[in-house]
Amino acid sequence: MPERAKHPPLGARLAGALRRAAEAAAERPEASRETTRGALAKRSRRDFLLFGASVVATAMAGWWLLPERTKRTWFPGTADRLDTLAARVGLTRMQREAQLNRVLTFDDDVAEALYSHHRQVRTYDRPDPRPLRNNYHGRTPGPESLAGWRLNLSGLASGRRESLAIDELRARFTRHDMNTRLVCVEGWSHVVAWGGIRFADLLAAYPPASGMRWAALRSNVGLDGAGNPEPYYVSIDLETARHPQALLATHHGGAPLTLAHGAPLRLVAPMKLGLKNIKAITDIAYTEAEPADYWNERGYSKYDGL
Amino acid sequence: MPTEHETKASSDEQRRASAAARAERAARARAATQAARAARAARAAEPVRVVPKHEGLVRTAHWAHLALLIGLILSGLAIYWAAPVFRHAPSPGNPRGDYLVDAGRVLASPFGGTGNMPNWFYDRFSAGPFQLANALRLHWLFAYLYMACGALYVAGLVRGGGWRALLPRATDPAEALAMLRYYLGVIPHALSRKPWPHPPVAGKYNALQRGAYFTMPLVGALVVLSGWAMHKPAMLGWLERLFVNYDGARIVHFTCMVILGGFTIPHVILVIADGWDTFRGMVTGWSTRLKGTPHA
Repeated sequence: MPERAKHPPLGARLAGALRRAAEAAAERPEASRETTRGALAKRSRRDFLLFGASVVATAMAGWWLLPERTKRTWFPGTADRLDTLAARVGLTRMQREAQLNRVLTFDDDVAEALYSHHRQVRTYDRPDPRPLRNNYHGRTPGPESLAGWRLNLSGLASGRRESLAIDELRARFTRHDMNTRLVCVEGWSHVVAWGGIRFADLLAAYPPASGMRWAALRSNVGLDGAGNPEPYYVSIDLETARHPQALLATHHGGAPLTLAHGAPLRLVAPMKLGLKNIKAITDIAYTEAEPADYWNERGYSKYDGL
Repeated sequence: MPTEHETKASSDEQRRASAAARAERAARARAATQAARAARAARAAEPVRVVPKHEGLVRTAHWAHLALLIGLILSGLAIYWAAPVFRHAPSPGNPRGDYLVDAGRVLASPFGGTGNMPNWFYDRFSAGPFQLANALRLHWLFAYLYMACGALYVAGLVRGGGWRALLPRATDPAEALAMLRYYLGVIPHALSRKPWPHPPVAGKYNALQRGAYFTMPLVGALVVLSGWAMHKPAMLGWLERLFVNYDGARIVHFTCMVILGGFTIPHVILVIADGWDTFRGMVTGWSTRLKGTPHA
């Protein structure tokens, strides 16, 4: 067959391509070029001046960004004087906070762009065997917090305020179970067996008024470290709340939630950091504007998307 | 005793003589300056051969990487403080069993440290304990800049064709062994004043350098990937799975940090040993050390 002779066999063609690739990737011989000593000195001077200026600018920016505690530990004698100098060129603490918060917002925007309602969060065959850590910021609420507990809903399309008992919620909505990872902002994580109703089901049964984009979740039974009332509140975008894996959990490890883990109802949103997974929810309000968030007010991100 | 007239005449003479001397000195100085200027001009016009070493973007990325790595390690360790991944059973003074707290105790003892200094390490080698919110913001800032820096580096490698010098080759294992043997022998031979020739180097780098400079960008890519795996494990679940699970990504991220930080130690020692030309090369981009001239 004369046609065949025109095309070399595949092996040979591959070998040829490989050889050409190797040639393209082979290091070229060193190419020296001639210049004058003067031209070289001039360029060198320019480059070193630029280098020095960059070192100074970087050191200044580094000082500006360093946490106050670190400045005082590292430079106990000169920290205040250096701060004054930095403030003189506009590198103040307030400026720094504003800029770093912009970084946080940028990262939140990235997280929001990455989020997809249709993407399932990884689930596991079985939960971690060790007990889940109780990371209540203050004191854990006592059993009295359960007496007369009701979930209050507001910002609804009906214009009414709804108040639901836990038994009503359990009876009306289907229970869903999932083993998902709870990821804490601190860095630890835990695969937990959750059970509860879908936030999406509650949203369908009690639709928010039109134009509402946020859910403000609140726990009025929260306590601070001394045991005084300190409500906890988080903001959740409704896009996340409608995710099929966003649960209003009633169970944990196959048993009803304990007080340490948010009895009788807590949020489990595995696509958010643990700090958004508010325990012992008493109020859900749908809002147009982004509601306040406890940890955002303490320097953490707002969106906390994982 | 000289008359008044005589005195005036002699002082006139003296004045004239000193003026002449001054003029002569000035002329000599002028001539010297001119000669020096001419010599300088001649020297400036002298031809020199230089080798372009590092592309401008590569140099920028190199130095930016240094600053960013410091910032990332400081803020990263301050984040790590909140929940260490490497832990042992709780012990008195170290309830979380954090090995870095133990390391701090050991390091502190030569400086008169006591047994009860849980924050010694984090106060000195991180942005500090109790700085989680702050350290997270700093880490994101440096992390985004780090990725931009990596992109700059790759662009520089492509633009300057420097990537070719980094690729591993078949002769590398043998050449790397020869280089190791050479490095091990440098100090003994220097002490005994015996010659110890540098093994021949075919390209821009020797095999050990090539290995290191090829690996570091890969470790840099891995540190970014493991970072994203931890940062967005839910939306980038495939990435988290790549590191087995969440803690897997944390361990890889930490290990990459140790490798990237640890690399700088031999790197800086060897640059100092190699001399000014090598340092200048990373600032200006060129070297006067042509192939065939003796290696430092």
